[in-house]
Amino acid sequence: MLPAVLDDLLVLDLSQGIAGPFCARLLADYGADVIKIEQPGGECGRRMPPFFHDDPHPEKSLFFLLLNLNKRGVTLDLEQPQGAEIFRRLARSADVIVESFPPGYLASLGLDHATLEKDNPGLVMTSITPFGQTGPYRRYKGNEIVAYATSGIMAIGGTADREPLQHGGFPAQYETAMNGMLATNVALLARDLTGLGQQVDLSMQEAVTSSLVINQPYYSFAGGVQGRRRPEGSAFGQIMPCKDGFFVTQEAGGGTWDEIADFFGRGELKDERFADPVQRIVNGHELDAIILDAAKERTMAEMFKTASEQYRMPFGIVQTPEDLAKCPQLEAREFYQEVEHPVIGKIRVPFRLWNMSASAATCRRPAPLLGQHNLEVFTKFGCSGAEIGTLRERGII
Amino acid sequence: MNEKKTAGQETALPLAGLRIVDISNVFSLPYATGLMADLGAEVIKIEGPARPDTTRSGISGVFPENEPGADPWNRTSTYNLLNRGKKSVALDLRRPEGREVLKDLIRASDVLMENFTPRVMRGWELDYPNATKLNARLIMVSCSGYGPQGPYAQYPAQATTLEATHGLAHVTGYRGGVPSKAGQSFVDFLATWALVMGTTLALRYRHRFGKGLWVDVGMYQLGCYMVAERILDWEVNKRLGERIGNRHPWLAPQGCYRCAGDDQWCVVSVQDDEEWAALCRTIGRPELAQDARFASNSARMRNHDDIDRIIAAWTAGLSKTAAMERLQAAGVRAGAVFDARDMHLDPHAKARGLLETVQFPPERGMGKRAIIGRPWRLSKLPLSARGPAPTLGQHNREVLQDLLGYDDARYAQLEQSGILGTRPTQPRPVLRMSMEERVRQGRLAYWDPEYKERLGMQD
Repeated sequence: MLPAVLDDLLVLDLSQGIAGPFCARLLADYGADVIKIEQPGGECGRRMPPFFHDDPHPEKSLFFLLLNLNKRGVTLDLEQPQGAEIFRRLARSADVIVESFPPGYLASLGLDHATLEKDNPGLVMTSITPFGQTGPYRRYKGNEIVAYATSGIMAIGGTADREPLQHGGFPAQYETAMNGMLATNVALLARDLTGLGQQVDLSMQEAVTSSLVINQPYYSFAGGVQGRRRPEGSAFGQIMPCKDGFFVTQEAGGGTWDEIADFFGRGELKDERFADPVQRIVNGHELDAIILDAAKERTMAEMFKTASEQYRMPFGIVQTPEDLAKCPQLEAREFYQEVEHPVIGKIRVPFRLWNMSASAATCRRPAPLLGQHNLEVFTKFGCSGAEIGTLRERGII
Repeated sequence: MNEKKTAGQETALPLAGLRIVDISNVFSLPYATGLMADLGAEVIKIEGPARPDTTRSGISGVFPENEPGADPWNRTSTYNLLNRGKKSVALDLRRPEGREVLKDLIRASDVLMENFTPRVMRGWELDYPNATKLNARLIMVSCSGYGPQGPYAQYPAQATTLEATHGLAHVTGYRGGVPSKAGQSFVDFLATWALVMGTTLALRYRHRFGKGLWVDVGMYQLGCYMVAERILDWEVNKRLGERIGNRHPWLAPQGCYRCAGDDQWCVVSVQDDEEWAALCRTIGRPELAQDARFASNSARMRNHDDIDRIIAAWTAGLSKTAAMERLQAAGVRAGAVFDARDMHLDPHAKARGLLETVQFPPERGMGKRAIIGRPWRLSKLPLSARGPAPTLGQHNREVLQDLLGYDDARYAQLEQSGILGTRPTQPRPVLRMSMEERVRQGRLAYWDPEYKERLGMQD
């Protein structure tokens, strides 16, 4: 078997929270040696719920575990000159640095890309921030909901009679992480051609905006501005209730409207008033009523199977985390992998995002404990045992 | 960007010289290959003359000035955003003669990308094991709803329906309300980025080891990753999670508050006591920082409704951008809820230049249009969309004759038998609805007839 595609890379992960760490993890999944560098007190991600058995211990954050699989971990205080000096030593050998500090912070320590590349022209630095490195909002703080609001996606979430609504969880952070890994790969391909590294400037706001490929050109092509849907009369294509839960279907991409009418067993759906997409919008209220009535005695599982197998309709059912944990499809796709964590023990984690016939992602180690690899990493980069002792005493590591 | 270029070498596009056969439909894969065209790849988009890409219908977008024109299939907004910089060949793959052309193209290309349901390429004996018989170094990239293995492998899927099935709808919705979708075709874009990640990994793999590989993206599992931490919470703590609207799962306060004007909103999010004190000062209620009801994060979680009323009373008198600017100046997370017009006109967006202008050739009658570029800037690699999206079959002759070397007789025969085309043989009905009617029907929040002037894009 050939080596993993990124196994020739050393990555230093200075990032915190969700997007940066997950970006660095994706590089680790494909073989890169990723060293996570935390302040001696540990990064904020260690304080993010959920925790193992709800115990808010810095080694028991399940979220941190997920975002930092496959990495080694060291502590290093970059704000102390000796810490910065050791970081420079690491950066001379590194291929990629992932960081999520406010713009200008690393420059204030003399650790920005322009400075570090003098000793390492091939260095790629992937900088992930709420609003990017330039522009009037570059110093603004951000997070999930700020990205949702300012990207444009929230203006079309929820219903028109209420406030705009974000997605649950942290999808903007995951989307940003994916763009970070993508752009890092692009910078590495460019380096293969030119030998030169560069800085990647990734904005979380823009990562989310980039998904609005219907919404954005609606304006630049015809001046149309989308908003939130009406609370009723437009539910087809939205989540609707059935006997034991919720389902969603849509007409595009599957069978004909007649087939949809047959699936719901309601001949009146073939009436003239529902004959084309415009009619179905105009008479949406009546359409909703017929479908809701047709679904009220049917279960999610039955409709999912029948629609998908017999009518070839795209059909969705609202699944819970429990359903996903037990899902045979995810099993077949090797979505879950098991790791052994020194504090948490053996645990099954959601892991594989996509598959490859060679060099597929491998789950090799759990997230690092705080400073777990100080000795092996700093020794390798030329620190003596005595020096490491001094660093520890001074709180630098 | 201001650095001097040395011998043009620094700015060589990383995918220059790479040829991609792109059999793609809808959003996910067309967008991925559009981004790869920006990066320098030669992308040849294959569509059936009978079944061109569904984004060529106006259903999920709009025509320039809402005018379908004589060739509506070449004019839709979303099609033209996603397919920038590509070549178009309209080729009927359902007939063996069409598949022979495809096989020749596969022999002449580096990457084959497709997003059929898994049985289609297998049925044509063009799945990865078979395709590599045509081209040993081939990289193949597939995108499907659920992936080719497992009980749901052959189920049809679209982002809209997957958003429920992959678990995101369960955690999305107003507090205490029903599960909801949000955004548009959400998982498609996760697939877009996974497809580019997978292709770039495969290229590096081929560069290092001289061999191709197959990238297999199933959208369902990508979507499930958006709730990965919730799955762990279930696995370990048996917690199912609940819908909390715009609140933060463990920090308070956070919400979306009404501002002055019609349908104007600003989100606010406080992460610690210091930020809470800063918020209290900014809204002119410094005494609240000492109030025991709000003194800690857990107290603020308990009394969140009270805080919501206090913040809303302050935002109600301010524009959404003024609310954002004042809070951010004090170090408090805040964000105006921008709509599509703001996306084009906001000073930060303008300064960053995420949106790029594509100039269409005069004969297409589409003028110039702003489209989304890329959310990442590379300091030594200026990137831009490399041209407009092609008209259907625009490059039939160039690709078959100049690239594949077909002679005139063979080309004419393919044209006459309808294997090649430049018009849809079964045109989809065009959605004809005025902009005013779209607003009345709730498909649009509003219509801005002055948009061209605002964008400085008058013809």
